[in-house]
Amino acid sequence: MSKTLEKRIFIFVCTVPALILLAIFMIVPTVEVFRMSLYKWGGFSNNKVFVGLDNFKILWGDINFIRSLQNSIVLIVFVTLITMVLAILFATLLTREKMKGNGFFRIIFYIPNILSIVVIAGIFSAVYDPATGLLNNLFALFNLDHLQKMWLGDQKIAIYSIGGALIWQAIGYYMVMYMASIANIPESFYEASALEGAGRIRQFFSITLPLIWNNIRTTLTFFIISTINLSFLLVQAMTGGGPDGATEVFLSYMYKQAYTNSSYGYGMAIGVVIFLFSFALSAIISRITNRDVLEY
Amino acid sequence: MKKKVLLAGMSALLSLSLIACQSNSASNTEDGKDSKKQTLHVAALESAYGKDMWTKVIDAYEEANPNVNVKLTADKNLEEVISPNMKAGNYPDVVLLATGRKLALTETLIKDKALEDITDVFNKNVYGEDVKVKDKLVPGFTDTLATNPYNDGKTYMAPMFYSPTGLFYNAALLKEKGWEVPKTWDEMWALGDKAKAEGISLFTYPTTGYFDAFLYSLLLEAGGSDFYNKAMTYKDGIWESKEATKAFDIVGKLAKYTEPTTVANANDKDYKKNQQLILDNKALFMPNGTWVVGEMKDAPRADGFEWGMTALPAIEDSGDRYAFTFFEQMWIPAQAKNKDAAKDFLTFVYSDKAAAIFAEADAIQPIEGISKNLSGDNQLFYSIYDNGAKAGMGGFAATESVEGVSMADALFRTIDSIVSGDKTVKEWQDAVEKASDKLRAALK
Repeated sequence: MSKTLEKRIFIFVCTVPALILLAIFMIVPTVEVFRMSLYKWGGFSNNKVFVGLDNFKILWGDINFIRSLQNSIVLIVFVTLITMVLAILFATLLTREKMKGNGFFRIIFYIPNILSIVVIAGIFSAVYDPATGLLNNLFALFNLDHLQKMWLGDQKIAIYSIGGALIWQAIGYYMVMYMASIANIPESFYEASALEGAGRIRQFFSITLPLIWNNIRTTLTFFIISTINLSFLLVQAMTGGGPDGATEVFLSYMYKQAYTNSSYGYGMAIGVVIFLFSFALSAIISRITNRDVLEY
Repeated sequence: MKKKVLLAGMSALLSLSLIACQSNSASNTEDGKDSKKQTLHVAALESAYGKDMWTKVIDAYEEANPNVNVKLTADKNLEEVISPNMKAGNYPDVVLLATGRKLALTETLIKDKALEDITDVFNKNVYGEDVKVKDKLVPGFTDTLATNPYNDGKTYMAPMFYSPTGLFYNAALLKEKGWEVPKTWDEMWALGDKAKAEGISLFTYPTTGYFDAFLYSLLLEAGGSDFYNKAMTYKDGIWESKEATKAFDIVGKLAKYTEPTTVANANDKDYKKNQQLILDNKALFMPNGTWVVGEMKDAPRADGFEWGMTALPAIEDSGDRYAFTFFEQMWIPAQAKNKDAAKDFLTFVYSDKAAAIFAEADAIQPIEGISKNLSGDNQLFYSIYDNGAKAGMGGFAATESVEGVSMADALFRTIDSIVSGDKTVKEWQDAVEKASDKLRAALK
């Protein structure tokens, strides 16, 4: 046996288990989703009817789907923007500034990320409770009664209340990621700029931000994927899409159609749209945020 | 070199063990059973009545019929336990799972025509007794869309535990304040104004899902059973009729009397906070079923609290009052393997022995004479029909699935928006009629 052949066999044998798993649990189901979206099927019987692109045509005119799509986009934009700003801010403060209790804050910010989403749903439905909730009582304490709201009952703000919980749980994770890359920036850059008279804010925008740009780009994709996934879990555990569909996101709508409205094929069509949507969005964002990577 | 071979061998072994896992589980189900005995697979929802009664009934059946080995699956989330197996072709032989559940497994099977016709079961003798099943049942329970979903005179689901629904309230509070339980909606509104002056809201609801029985009763009051059946079978224009408008308007008015925090808690996670409003004397009435007593039994409550239940107020003086009856259904999947054995078991659940076991757990079947032996709160609840209320039964007719259209969403879920003021009653009514139009085309 020649050395190269031996090496090839070895590589092959090593990768086969992973490839089999990938094929069975990722590729086949994905192809299956695309295939099922062309059928009308209740989910149980053998009675599958091929309907071509009918499911997508219905989807186009389905006002409830459009609404859930809007909600998802609102969440993606709202959660990404606020989480990113806060996470970068906290990361800079905790790495660049010498504050008391640095380590303590790192732990505090990271804790929500360890909690399961169902626990977070529990915490936040207690926080948002209209009568006994933390938020409304806090406003009452400071005589800000006009700010008291039915956080999960008012259809105009319910989706932002969900967003609030998502932001709370996401900040720690992204903060740690940004901290890691900020810590990598050589201290000499900051010293040199300080000698030239740059203040902290100038340093942040001219040194920190450009040098962690690549990291921010990567996290943007994470934001999209995790917001889509976690919003489904949180909505499912917290409001069930209510009141009257005000917090329905597209994954929860897909679940509802596939499993409770006996329209499995239609649900899969929604799945296809979500799949393409998140792919396209990630690609677009990755394209427009593309900058030359700064070497240091 | 040796190391590489070892590594390669290990990974090959790992991938093999993966494949081995699969075949193992498949063969497991076959062995270990006596070949002469027939195995009957019963799947039952473990609801508020508990799991014990099922074990007992199955023990009793195995004793009565030694040729059968019963395998029981009882779970609170029965759908999630049995549906993966069903998708793989392993169907239970008998299932107790009602319609109206969130995951709507029963409805899905109805839509797929995947239930076994069990009309003949009712002409059979109860297992071990000399009485036909239909002679034991309270009349009327096998005549509605809840057991004959295709409206063709054939029964696909057997009526099991029933429970009257209505408006629940704190009887002690009303007594203390000297308020009468309203008999008409006009009295209801008057009471609402009186209660408001004392800082108590007239109405709350756990989630909009609880409006099903409420609205069905209201429709029956507004238009009688003929009208009701037309509505349930999606007759054209029925939701824009005078009778339906009356029902919609009552809900619209009721929304104004609803406790303000209700909508914020009207979800599956927080609905108990709304039920708590009744216990805390913050709201007077809520639509609910008899299970609420057990569900809230550990909750703190106002001094002297006492459950009361009433049928819906009548629309006109001396008009009909309705209390909708929910019952859980038991059915045989069309793809079950032991249908005959399943039908035998289905007759057995109506035997005196089984009924006694169920009744012990407060699960009441529609068997003649059974409600006389009840005690406590249950006696009050089940006597609601003796006090002049009529029983409503049956829900919407089965249709093919219509993508993106759900009557439950259009009719019930929208009530959150009516209460919060985001939609008008007119918009709600139009949306229901539109959904009805789409579903009519898909009627079976």
